[in-house]
Amino acid sequence: MDLYALMPPLMFLALILFLLSGYPVAFSLGAVGMVFGFLGIALDLFPASLLGAMPDRIFGIMSNQLLLAIPFFTLMGILLEKSGLAEDLLDTMGRLFGPLRGGLALSVVFVGAILGATTGVVAASVMAMGLISLPVMLKYGYNPRFASGVILGSATLAQIIPPSVVLIVLADQLGVSVGDMYKAALIPSLATVLLYFLYVIYVALVHPRWVPALPKEARPEAGKELPTAFALLSYLLVGVGSWRLGEFLHLPGWLEGLEILLGLGLWTLFLLPWIRTNPLLRKALLSMVPPLVLIFLVLGTVLIGLATPTEAGAMGVVGALVLAALNRRLSFQVLYGAMEGTAKLTAFVVFILIGSTLFSLVFRGVDGDLWVEGFLTGLPGGEVGYILFVMVLVFLLGFFIDFFEIAFIALPLLAIGADALGIDKLWFGLLVGVNLQTSFLTPPFGFALFYLRNVAPKEVRTADIYLGGIPFILLQLLVLLLVYFLREPILNMAYSGFGQ
Amino acid sequence: MRFLLGLSRAIDVLTEGVGRLVVWLVLLVALLSAGNAILRYGFSYSSNAYLEAQWYMFSLIFLLGGAYALKHNAHVRIDLLYDRFSRRTQAWIDVVGTVLFLLPMALGLIYLSWPWAMNSLSIREMSPDVGGLPRWPIKLLVPFSFGLLALQGLSELIKRIAFLTGALPSWSPEEEEEVA
Amino acid sequence: QAQPTIRWRLASSFPKSLDTIYGAAEVLAERVRALTGGRFQIRPYQAGEIVPGLQVMDAVQQGTVEVGHTASYYFVGKAQVLAFDTSVPFGLTARQQNAWMYFGGGIELFRSIFADFGIIQFPGGNTGAQMGGWFRKEIRTLADLRGLKMRIPGPGGQVMSRLGVVPQVLAGGDIYPALERGTIDATEWVNPYDDEKLGFYRVAKNYYYPGFWEPGAMLVFYVNLREWQRLPKEYQQAFEVAAAEANQWMMAKYDQVNGPALQRLLRNGVRLRKWPNEIMQAAQKAAFEWFEEEAAKDATYRRVYTAWRRFREEQFRWFAVAELGYEQFAFPNV
Ligand code: NA
Ligand code: NA
Repeated sequence: MDLYALMPPLMFLALILFLLSGYPVAFSLGAVGMVFGFLGIALDLFPASLLGAMPDRIFGIMSNQLLLAIPFFTLMGILLEKSGLAEDLLDTMGRLFGPLRGGLALSVVFVGAILGATTGVVAASVMAMGLISLPVMLKYGYNPRFASGVILGSATLAQIIPPSVVLIVLADQLGVSVGDMYKAALIPSLATVLLYFLYVIYVALVHPRWVPALPKEARPEAGKELPTAFALLSYLLVGVGSWRLGEFLHLPGWLEGLEILLGLGLWTLFLLPWIRTNPLLRKALLSMVPPLVLIFLVLGTVLIGLATPTEAGAMGVVGALVLAALNRRLSFQVLYGAMEGTAKLTAFVVFILIGSTLFSLVFRGVDGDLWVEGFLTGLPGGEVGYILFVMVLVFLLGFFIDFFEIAFIALPLLAIGADALGIDKLWFGLLVGVNLQTSFLTPPFGFALFYLRNVAPKEVRTADIYLGGIPFILLQLLVLLLVYFLREPILNMAYSGFGQ
Repeated sequence: MRFLLGLSRAIDVLTEGVGRLVVWLVLLVALLSAGNAILRYGFSYSSNAYLEAQWYMFSLIFLLGGAYALKHNAHVRIDLLYDRFSRRTQAWIDVVGTVLFLLPMALGLIYLSWPWAMNSLSIREMSPDVGGLPRWPIKLLVPFSFGLLALQGLSELIKRIAFLTGALPSWSPEEEEEVA
Repeated sequence: QAQPTIRWRLASSFPKSLDTIYGAAEVLAERVRALTGGRFQIRPYQAGEIVPGLQVMDAVQQGTVEVGHTASYYFVGKAQVLAFDTSVPFGLTARQQNAWMYFGGGIELFRSIFADFGIIQFPGGNTGAQMGGWFRKEIRTLADLRGLKMRIPGPGGQVMSRLGVVPQVLAGGDIYPALERGTIDATEWVNPYDDEKLGFYRVAKNYYYPGFWEPGAMLVFYVNLREWQRLPKEYQQAFEVAAAEANQWMMAKYDQVNGPALQRLLRNGVRLRKWPNEIMQAAQKAAFEWFEEEAAKDATYRRVYTAWRRFREEQFRWFAVAELGYEQFAFPNV
């Protein structure tokens, strides 16, 4: 009996058993590493000194500056949720889209996309929209299952639309540039938003009773919606126009920003008489300012060359602090609670990383990497077969373990196979990233499901929440197919000096 | 048992105190990082010291926060089965897990990182990059923080055993409150 | 009598994707295996597989792995003198570094230093004179360097900071987006073949030369001293032969791949630019001022610096004759 060859599969088996015990993941992972480490030493499979790599590996985690994105975006997300900013936006967008059938759902998708572009974590979006939009949708007769689903789906946009902790961690684990990852994520992000919109319209046409329009008495600004929408569109056009003009004139980053602001300011002056007589437009403009400021801070500062993608998360924290203070929502309790929550999350996430680095060290020690490579590259179907296997595996793992565990434990092993087959790591990471959206929505361990259950009104049954997510999981899988088939355009976009 | 519970309380006070300091680092590191970006962009002024201070603070947060997270039961579990067990069974799992999983890992890492950190201290290791910070203090943090984690593990162990022997009605008053 | 079967692990500071610099470790492993009839086996691991790239010295010192393949100047935080084992600003070329190491007393000097770390070292490849890196804007005068934000680690950063550059060592994944959007103005890397892979040419078109802070960066194999002493004499011989081959292999390989890579870069619109003399002169002055400062602080540094400086002067006088005379005439005339 060749015990040596049995070690890697035995380690997997032990890992599953240890994890199922319910003891914290970080230490269960570490324990498998330790147990098999001692076993390997006793059986003379590798020298005891190999475990001496642990301090070096921990030091590698400590000095990995990209991981700073985890506390930054978590802190920003919690502050954002407490700042009341999402509330205002959802409220106005609800009024704006209110007269349409499915309008509230459309506003949720829209706000989800906006929040997605400001924050890098899903939790903030789920909680904000679950607290604010879900009660409103239920009050006006929305189907609770569909209402839950649209909130869940829209909230997960936070992880595929840059900035995103998921994309940063994937880029880091695969050794590709964060900037390239962000650019590659643009096509799937837009495709997901578009599909959500289309799905809402489809539901409005086929199941009108699920998504009733707001009654007239719920709309104090009835009749102002259409002109307001046109006014907002005009802002979009002016904004894009000023941006293109700046590009055309080759203005430096900060001047271009100023020029865009100037354009929007002049347009506001021009519309001023109209804004005065239209309270809905006023409200819409005011509620759009804070998210635009945040988007500028977390994406704009990277684009104008002020901050690295990691530092942009810190810029977002400062922005969220200021906005919460301006909204008079920043108390000591709120701040301390946000910091404490962030510290705990950072500790548990990085400890999983430490546990998994101990596991993977011993796994390599018993030549588990060779075993995985042999197993993965031995899969039938070459590249297609491998990708199919990885996608199914990641999807299934998403039911049981969360995104961080998949990224830290499974991804490095899966990358071995991708390397062996010569698959582009950026594209591979993007496929995994799009796939991982589903892990937030699949029971029993979808984080988004937990968060929504926590904030949803009692009359929404847990089954509604679980089942409501299914259509959106299917839409996300559709986007996954799209990423698979649009490999060339996506990679061209990511690798081009886009904007230069 | 009374002595052990006293020990556990003392450890809890230590972990809580360290944790409360660490919590503020979260804000501090964000402000430092944003300040870094702004100074570099606006004034072309920066130093590797500031860049390294960021990850030093990040390291302090998770290394020292590990024990704090353990005290507050914030380390994530796969609770597929765990949640369905009785409080007693859960306590047993935690006892076994602490003795067989957590303590060996923490003690093992102290053992492994001690000579490594001492070596850095003995040569007063610096950053290899211009303007960078001394490396030895942050390397010393590694065995120290796993020591803190092992202590907190001991405290949790005492509390679970006290619960199982009936000396404590609950090992985690705050958690019970949340459930109630 | 039959020799024992020995298995060693080698931790490289480099990823497999940099196939030339990583490849030297594979050359070593293959040659050692062949020379010992397959009984002495060395398995190379890329950076991060066992330890992160910048922890290789710690790992060999602690005996975590038996061998490391790295560059000593990554560890100047432990002792500044280690820079001379790789390359220092305005130092020796690859050929001169070899002459110093093999016959000028270099290896012996450093063996006495590395012995304190429980390590024995062997020359393990060279990049040749490196490039000066990728700049978003043209650098015409010394004043253009003032306030310039550049990713440049180690000794190069020391000298550049004395010229007013703001050296920044960013996270790996942040470098490209930071250069693309102008968060930093410049980054240095290695040479055309490796730089092409990272794609900096897409976002910063000015490619400066030479990388005067690394005129001939020597790589090195570290072996844990205790493991080395326990190795049978024949295996020691095989290792030394294989390391010498890897040393030559890397330089020859880089010379072969860099030419075509540079042509590809030029076809992609890269603008090749030579450092203005003013900058080179100021940098050289700053470099020697820095050496003197370090030498005043530390006796070991002074010992190595003095020996190196004497050797450098001899070599430069000789190379300025036949080599330079030929090269100056022949190279520009293609
Ligand atoms: Na996002
Ligand atoms: Na270089």
